[in-house]
Amino acid sequence: MTKNKYSKKNIRKEIYVIAIFFAAIFVAMIVYLARYVQSGSRDFIYNSYNSRFSVFADDVTRGTIYTSDGHIIAKTTYNEDKKEIRKYPDERLFCHSVGYVDKGMSGLEAEYSFDLLKSHIDLSEQINNTLVGKKSPGDSLYTTFDYDTQKAAYESFGMFEGAVVAIEPDTGKVIAMVSKPDFDPNTIAEYWDDITDDSKKKSVLLNRATAGAYPPGSTFKIVTTVAFLRANNGDDSFEYNCKGKIAIDDYTIHCSGNKSHGNEDLLKAFSNSCNSAYAYIGLNLDKDVFTDTSEKLLFNQDLPTRLYNVKKSSFSIENQSDSVIAQTAIGQGETTVSPLHMCMLVSAIANGGELMKPYLADKIVSEEGDIVSEVKPESYGSILSENEVSLLNKYMEAVVMDGTAEKVDFGDINVFGKTGTAEYTKNKSITHSWFVGYGVDENGDKLAIAVIMEGAGYGSKYAAPLAAKVFNAYFD
Amino acid sequence: MISVVISFSRITILAFVLAFTILDLIQLFEFKFSDTVSSVLSTIQAVMVTLFLINASIILYLVKEDSKIIGLLVLQLILFLLISVLLNRLTEPSSRALINNLIFFLSLSFVTLERLNINTGIKQFVFTIVSTVMAFLIVILIRNVWKIQRNMFVFAAIGIILLVIVYFVGSVEYGAKLSLSIGAIRFQPSEFVKILYLFFISGCIVTYKDFRGFLFASVGAAIHVIILVLSRDLGTALIFLMTYLLLIFIAYKNYIVLGLELLVALVGGIYAYNRFPHIQSRFIAWTDPLSVVDDKGYQISQSLFAIGTGGWFGSGLTNGVPTKIPVVANDFIFAAISEELGALVSICVIICFMCFSVMIFNVAFNCNDSFYMLVLNGIGIIFSVQSILNIGGVIKFIPSTGVTLPFVSAGGSSLLSMFISFFIIECSNDMYFVGKGRRYD
Repeated sequence: MTKNKYSKKNIRKEIYVIAIFFAAIFVAMIVYLARYVQSGSRDFIYNSYNSRFSVFADDVTRGTIYTSDGHIIAKTTYNEDKKEIRKYPDERLFCHSVGYVDKGMSGLEAEYSFDLLKSHIDLSEQINNTLVGKKSPGDSLYTTFDYDTQKAAYESFGMFEGAVVAIEPDTGKVIAMVSKPDFDPNTIAEYWDDITDDSKKKSVLLNRATAGAYPPGSTFKIVTTVAFLRANNGDDSFEYNCKGKIAIDDYTIHCSGNKSHGNEDLLKAFSNSCNSAYAYIGLNLDKDVFTDTSEKLLFNQDLPTRLYNVKKSSFSIENQSDSVIAQTAIGQGETTVSPLHMCMLVSAIANGGELMKPYLADKIVSEEGDIVSEVKPESYGSILSENEVSLLNKYMEAVVMDGTAEKVDFGDINVFGKTGTAEYTKNKSITHSWFVGYGVDENGDKLAIAVIMEGAGYGSKYAAPLAAKVFNAYFD
Repeated sequence: MISVVISFSRITILAFVLAFTILDLIQLFEFKFSDTVSSVLSTIQAVMVTLFLINASIILYLVKEDSKIIGLLVLQLILFLLISVLLNRLTEPSSRALINNLIFFLSLSFVTLERLNINTGIKQFVFTIVSTVMAFLIVILIRNVWKIQRNMFVFAAIGIILLVIVYFVGSVEYGAKLSLSIGAIRFQPSEFVKILYLFFISGCIVTYKDFRGFLFASVGAAIHVIILVLSRDLGTALIFLMTYLLLIFIAYKNYIVLGLELLVALVGGIYAYNRFPHIQSRFIAWTDPLSVVDDKGYQISQSLFAIGTGGWFGSGLTNGVPTKIPVVANDFIFAAISEELGALVSICVIICFMCFSVMIFNVAFNCNDSFYMLVLNGIGIIFSVQSILNIGGVIKFIPSTGVTLPFVSAGGSSLLSMFISFFIIECSNDMYFVGKGRRYD
C-alpha cells in the first residue's frame, strides 16, 4: 500500500464526480433559461393570460412593417406634441391584413407585436440607450406583399365590396390581399363607433379574404370535377346532352341564361360552366367519394396556413335531398368557402398538385439590417394527382380560350381559370361575381388568384377583368 | 426622475452582480490562493454585494417613500458584518467565499421581499437574526457532544417521529402536508429532519465500516422517503432520496450499487406516477402549461410570462408585476428576480448557486474528519438538489415540486435549517475536537 494510492485525491474523487454532476445540471438550466428568453418566450408572452405586455413599449420603439419590395406599410413617428403615433402612409391599402394598434390590436400588428417591440441592435448600443434613457429601435417586419400588385387589386375594386387573395404558388407567399369595405387605421380610434356600428351590417373590420364565408358558385365545379375523376379512377370520359335545364324532383336547375349547351364532354361542360351537366354529375356521384374529395381539398378542415383569423370552409351532403346535392355540385346549397381557400386550391393546381402553406410575414430584420428570423416556405403535401392537375389545366385553359371567360382580355399572360356567379339570396338576379385561377408569364412565373365581388353579377364581367389587372401589375 | 434612476439601475445592478459572479467563479479555486489574494478577492466581492444592496434599497426607498427601507438597509449591513465577525470568533472559517455568497443570497432575498411586501421583508429580516443566533448556539452544542455520530439511531428516531406527526396532524398547503402549528408559530419539521437525517446516515457509515452501515442507512432512508411521499411532500422526498443515494456512493464508491439503487428509485417513481393523480397533473402542467393555463398550469405560466416579459435586462426593480405569480415570495421568488432584474442577473444568480454548491464540495474534500466529510457532502447534495428543484421548477426545466430556494425564499424553517448547515460547513475544521481518532490517515 503506497501512500499515493490512498491519498485524499484518490479516495475522495467521487466527491468531484458529484460536484461536476450538479454543476452540469446548473449549466444546463442556464442554457435552458437563456434559450427561453432569447427565442422560446414568444408563445408565452403572447398568451392572453399575460398582462405584462405593454411594458416593452417603454424601452423600444415599435418597429416598421414593410412590403417585400421595401415600401413602408406602417411606421412609428411623432406628432406635434412629441408623442409616439403609428402612421400608415397608404391609409386603407393594407388595413385588414396589417391591422391597427389603437383600440386594441389586430392583424400583423397584433400577431407580430412581440417582434416589433424587440430590439436586436448591438447589445452595447442597447445598454447605452438604457443609460441615456433613449428607446432602442424595434425590429422590422418584412411582409410578402408586392406593393404594385396590392395597389392594383385594391384600386380595381372601385365601389364594390368583396375580397382578393393572390398567392405565389411555389412558395405560398401572399402577394396581395384586399378586403372591402375597409377602414383607415390612422384614424380608427376617431371613427371607432361608426366602424363597429352593428346596425349598418357592414362588418368593416372583418377580413373577408380569410374569414369570409361565401357560396362558391361555379368555382366549386373544380371540386366536383376532381370528385368525378376520383370516382372514375382518373378517367374523364363523360357525355351529356344539355337542354338548358334539369329537373330534380320538383326543383329545376337552369343553365346560365337558360342556354342549351347541347352535346358536351367534361371539358365542354366545365368551360361552358354547364349547370345541368354538373347537377347530373353530382346526382350520380358516390356520396362518400364526394365528401371525401371535398375534405381532402380542405373543406371542413382547418386550412393549413400561417395566417391568422382564418375561417373553415364548410361542405355537407349528409342526409340531404337530391335537389340539394345537385345544387351542391354546382356550388350553391349549403357550401361556403373563403376566398383564401379557393386561392389555395388553384395555387395547388398551378404548383403541380403540391400545396404550399400561405404566409404573410416573411422575415424579421433588425434596425442594423441583420436578419433575426426568416420564414421558410413550407409544403402541406400534394392534394391533387398529376393526372388531375393536367386535366384541370386543360379545362381551366379552355375556360379562358373559348369558355365563359373568353371575352376577358388578359394580355400576354397565359391564364387558367374558372368563373363563378353565385346566388346568395332568394333573388336570383343578384349574384356574387367570382374568378379563381392563375397566370403564367413568359418566364414561367406564376400567380394564383381568387376574386369575389359581392353582388356584382357575372364572374366573367367583373371578377375576371379585375384578375387581369392584378396579373398585369404583378407580371409587369 | 425616478424612472430614469430605475432604468439606469438595471445596468448598475447587473454590473455589481456580474462582478460578484465573476469573482465567485475565480474563488472556486480559493484553496490554491495565498491568504492575501484570497482576502483581496473576497473584500472586493463584499463591496459588490454592499453596492448591490444599497442600490436596490435606494430604488425601493424612492418608489415606496418608506423610511423603514433605509433603516432596514443599515440594520442589514450591520447584521452581515456581525455574521462574519461571529464566524471569525467561533472558528477559522473554511471558506471566505461562502460567507460572501450567503450575504449575496440574503441581500437578494431582502430586496425582493421588501419590494413584494415591506412586512414580509421585515419578518424575513427578523427570521435571519433569529436563525443566526440559533445556528450559532446549535453549532456550539454539537461541538460539545462527545462522539455525536454514535447517536445516529436517536437522530433517526426523532426525525421519523417528527415526520409521522406531520403526516397525521400537519396542515395542508398546496396539496401537501408540510407544517406543524404550535400556538402562533408554524414551522416545517422536514427542514430540521434534513440535518438529523444527514447525521444519521453519516453516523451509520462511519460507525460500522461494513455491510451493516449500508443496511441501517438504507432502511432508515427508505422509511423517511416513504413517509414523505405519503405526506405528498414530493420535493423533500426527492431531496432525501438523492442525499441517501449519493452519500452511499461517496462512502462505498460503488457504481453498481448506485446503478441498482437508481433503478429501484426509477421503478418506485413510475409506480408513484401511476398511483397518484397529483403527480400526473404536475407533469401535464410541466409539458404544456398553456393548455391548462387557467388551472394547474396557471402558476408556472405566470412565472414564464414574468421571465419572458422581463427579458434579458428586466423591467427594472418595481416596474414589473411579480405579484401576479401565486406564492411568489416562497417557491417562485426566482421568477420575481428574473422579471425585474432581468434574465442576465438571474443567470448570474444560478451561477452563484452553482459556485456555492461546488464550494461546499471543496470544503468537504478538504475536511480532515470522515464523519463531517460525509455530513458536508450531504449538505452540498441537499443544497444543490433543492436549488435545482426550485429554479428548474420555476423556469419549466423540470416539473415544479414546491421546494424553497435556499436562503432566498421567504420562510423561517428553511432559513434556519440552511443557517445551521452553513455554520456546520464553516466550523467543520473545529468540529472534530471531541472525536479525535476519527481523522483520516
